[in-house]
Amino acid sequence: MSGDKAAIRGWTRTQSRLGRQAARPVVVFGLLSSLLGVGQAWCVATVLGHALVGLVSGGSAQTLALWPVLAFAGLALLRALIMALSDTAAAKAGIDARRRLRGEVLASILTGGPALLRKTHSGELATIAVDRIEALDGFFARWVPASVLWIAAPLLILLPVAFVQPRAALVLGLCGAAVPFGQALFGIGAAVASRNQFLAMTRLQARFLDRVKGIATIVLAGRADDETERLGQAAEELRQRTMKILRVAFLSSASIDCAMVVALVLIAIMDGKQAMALLSGGVSPALAYTLTSGLFVLLVIPEFFAPLRGLALAYQDRAHAQGAATAILDLPEAQPRPSPDGARTVNASGVMVSLEDVCFTWDPARGPALDHVSFTVPAGETLILAGPSGSGKSTIMELLLGFIQPDSGSVRFNGAPLDSIVPDSLSRMISWIGQKPVLFAGTLKDNILFARPDADEADLMAAVKAAAVDQFLPSLPDGLETRIGEGGFGLSGGQAQRIAIARAYLKNAPILLLDEPTAHLDPATEKSVFESLQRLALRRTVVLATHSAAVHMFNGRRVDLQMGRVVARQGAA
Amino acid sequence: MKTSDQTEDGTPALTDRQAILRILGLWHRQAPRLLIGVMLALIALCLGLVLMQASGLRLASSVLGEVVITTALLRWVGGGRVILRYAERLFAHDAMFRALADLRVWFFHSLAQGAAAGLGFRRAGDMLSRLVSDIGTLDGLYLRILVPFACACLTLPILVIQLGRQSVVLGALVGVLFACSAFLVPYLIAQSGQAEGERLGKNLAALRIGVLDLVGGLREIRAFGAEGRILSHVQADDATLLAGQMRLARRSAYANASAFLCGQAAIFLVLLAAAGAFSLHISALAAVGILFLTVASFESAGALTRAGLQAGVMGAAARRVVEVAVSTPDTTQPEAQTDAPEDTHIHLEGVKFRWAPNRPLVFDGLTLDIPAGTRVAILGPSGVGKSSLAALLLKAAAPEAGSITLGGEEISHIKADSLRRRMAWLSQATHLFDDSIRANLLLGRPDATEDDLWKALEEAAVADVVKTLPDGLDTWLGEGGIKLSGGQGRRIALARTLLTQAPILILDEPATGLDAQTEQEFLRTLNTVTKGRTVILIAHRLTGVESLDRIWRLSGGVATAAAA
Repeated sequence: MSGDKAAIRGWTRTQSRLGRQAARPVVVFGLLSSLLGVGQAWCVATVLGHALVGLVSGGSAQTLALWPVLAFAGLALLRALIMALSDTAAAKAGIDARRRLRGEVLASILTGGPALLRKTHSGELATIAVDRIEALDGFFARWVPASVLWIAAPLLILLPVAFVQPRAALVLGLCGAAVPFGQALFGIGAAVASRNQFLAMTRLQARFLDRVKGIATIVLAGRADDETERLGQAAEELRQRTMKILRVAFLSSASIDCAMVVALVLIAIMDGKQAMALLSGGVSPALAYTLTSGLFVLLVIPEFFAPLRGLALAYQDRAHAQGAATAILDLPEAQPRPSPDGARTVNASGVMVSLEDVCFTWDPARGPALDHVSFTVPAGETLILAGPSGSGKSTIMELLLGFIQPDSGSVRFNGAPLDSIVPDSLSRMISWIGQKPVLFAGTLKDNILFARPDADEADLMAAVKAAAVDQFLPSLPDGLETRIGEGGFGLSGGQAQRIAIARAYLKNAPILLLDEPTAHLDPATEKSVFESLQRLALRRTVVLATHSAAVHMFNGRRVDLQMGRVVARQGAA
Repeated sequence: MKTSDQTEDGTPALTDRQAILRILGLWHRQAPRLLIGVMLALIALCLGLVLMQASGLRLASSVLGEVVITTALLRWVGGGRVILRYAERLFAHDAMFRALADLRVWFFHSLAQGAAAGLGFRRAGDMLSRLVSDIGTLDGLYLRILVPFACACLTLPILVIQLGRQSVVLGALVGVLFACSAFLVPYLIAQSGQAEGERLGKNLAALRIGVLDLVGGLREIRAFGAEGRILSHVQADDATLLAGQMRLARRSAYANASAFLCGQAAIFLVLLAAAGAFSLHISALAAVGILFLTVASFESAGALTRAGLQAGVMGAAARRVVEVAVSTPDTTQPEAQTDAPEDTHIHLEGVKFRWAPNRPLVFDGLTLDIPAGTRVAILGPSGVGKSSLAALLLKAAAPEAGSITLGGEEISHIKADSLRRRMAWLSQATHLFDDSIRANLLLGRPDATEDDLWKALEEAAVADVVKTLPDGLDTWLGEGGIKLSGGQGRRIALARTLLTQAPILILDEPATGLDAQTEQEFLRTLNTVTKGRTVILIAHRLTGVESLDRIWRLSGGVATAAAA
């Protein structure tokens, strides 16, 4: 667990470093904006100070020039521009960082490949790649610049203040320095409080989601009223627990308010006293200076505390980053798939497939998934893998596809070990049809062309005809251009399987792997899908995993598996 | 997701404004608290304005040789400001959480009363979880929009009156500038952001679909060597989304700058007046006071620009929540008053059904007879309407025409609760809650004793597994029952169904997702434990181990009897 924490901290630190580089313009603009604010405060103080002195000296304020007023306006325009630039730069930093991270996460997912899905639910992976990363916007756009500005900007403001009124700078500096102490004190308090409440809070929040997801079950069990009441109680408890945390957490922002009020009041009183003392000596340059500089410092105080407030506001963005870090660190590192030394391509026509004494274990606690399995399928022949589910059929398929590597033994194509074959060449050799083909969001045509995007119209139509896709085309609203997949037209299981067969025709690979292709179909559909597959299997090397009774439609060798072992063979397998 | 949003088709479109008003209407119970929160915010704001003004005056008034603003006053105002601000935030958050809790309960209740069952049958879980996060979004409605808006509404007259006392022209001008900064700019950004926000929502959905395709299709992608193609496809979606966000960010940067410039223009006017330009003569002392007031006022208006940006998001969230919750199904007939009869003979006659008026008919003259105590299977390929049949029997949906009777009584006349006590439903969509095994079982029969629970577990052939768990019945199942294997989880759900003692069991593809061996064992268990009850087994195929009295085949919207 502590290793996890160290990893999360390391990740956050790396991201902060990368983020700071991108946030440099934001920081520069922020500092510029603070400086301009100081300039404006000086202009305002000059005008007001002059007017006040005029009041004392009895209406001799006619000498007042308009230049500070005009300078104020100029600085205001400039500052508005700088602020807009700063906002835009911050947004850009957030966007660039998300683009980079999302690219990395997607690459990791593609690297991890199908094996990743055994560990993590696909919805969870999608959430990491989309929502978790969207939530990181604030970290890069707000937290990272704020974490630099909260020290730099107040210090920068303190310089001119110290030059004008050292005493006021001391007060302001002390009040400013008290803020981190207050933040740390109450921040730690809040952290402790939230650690105590966190588990309970997450459970309560999850409860609402869980009950809404299962609402049909609740309603049909006639328990809706009870559950509504319980939900109300849970929400009430959630509120009480959250308020416990907020009571402490708000103290930390109250500490900023408090520091600011103290600075404001102290400086107003100090300078007021000094001005009164000077007034007894009549109108003097010293009085004018005290008034002007006093007003200046008062006006600068909100500018001084603004970056501190900014940090407090951005604090929750940091928490998001830690949440995301945990999820992202669980993904495998993105790396190009290794192209082993002496990588080769294999003659792509007529491939013999063999397993030699292969062992593979998914999880040591459950024992080996494959235990010394060997078989050979000569080029152009069919091998039927039979056996109950859990006997190792799918594991063999994943080995043949190169998704996983055997613990011992070897998988060979035409005698060449699978891990010595160039990945691109390997994927050109194999067509694969699983239990339920994934249909991507897009048109039917796109989905078939997925197998070979550069196929011409004639090849496409040939594949459509061969896979009998043309039989159900008339029932679709736009024929081949019908949108399917998420948010599109729904296809039946048999129709989807025909798309997969069309893909395989289009790809025209010498090896055909069929992993229970009819498991979800009713007998009539199963029969017609098998007929299409029979035609597809001609002149190809086929491995068919199934426990369907209709398998007799295929003739070839047969291997029966049980608990990862070969228990029977038919033919010369 | 094959069945897309169907509720949206039927119900009239709701505007964001109506939806937000509807939600505000729901908060009436918390109205006093919410109002007090706003009042506290207003007082804290006033003290903030006074503090800034008083500090400036304290210094400036020294030129008169007398203390206009006493140190004690400053201390009180300062202390009051800090304490009230703290109290306001605490109180406002508390009120908001209460309101949000009410909203959640209302949402859940409306779902349960209304489209609930149909929703659960057809709508994917992630859609619901998005709705849940929409409810979370609505917390900003009070804290980030209503409270700052109320503050701005109070600040405007204070500012205008204070300035107007010195110079009517100045008061009017600064008032107009304040209104621009606090109301006009946020309104404009909300207006222009709405279209962009909607587009962003669509782009985000497109990205999500692309990523889901990528993740779900990892096998296909690897097998076809399509990594590069798919990645560039998703990254194109990503680029579209980010470009849209950049446009919105640029627009909001301009809005912020304009709101800022309004404030600066106001300060500029006060300065001109202080400098005596354009015959806007005001006394120097008053000038200091109103300048500090102006600075503080415009600072508080800044929050509203951010509120304007969020208004679109908030409106859309409110609309989605309200739309789902208020879409009333046609199953809640008021005349449904009878209790379910003892007889459990089910008969469907000439039933016509479709999920929405613009959808094709699922059933067209479906006639089916299920005598009490028989075991029947209803078979058909996926998409033929097998689950719709379960929805009809359970009154989660109502037929367009035809009759469905239970013991001779039209089910439309039977109270839904009473009807559902007679029928227990088990399907792959049956939800195992993130709770203890005990709590999950008790959902079936709240008054069941310990012995009843164990007996049901025994019948479902899962008692041995539960016994080996360290906490026994009190073991936490985890979300979706993930701590058990698929087969074990289904058996817990079966135990819950058996516990109900309902005379009719509707088993809607109860074994989907289990491997062949587990499936067969599960179905064998069903054969032995359901003696004496009516069993309606809905499946796309039979495994051969089921013992059945009759088999119906669904196709073309009607059922035909097949040999048992």
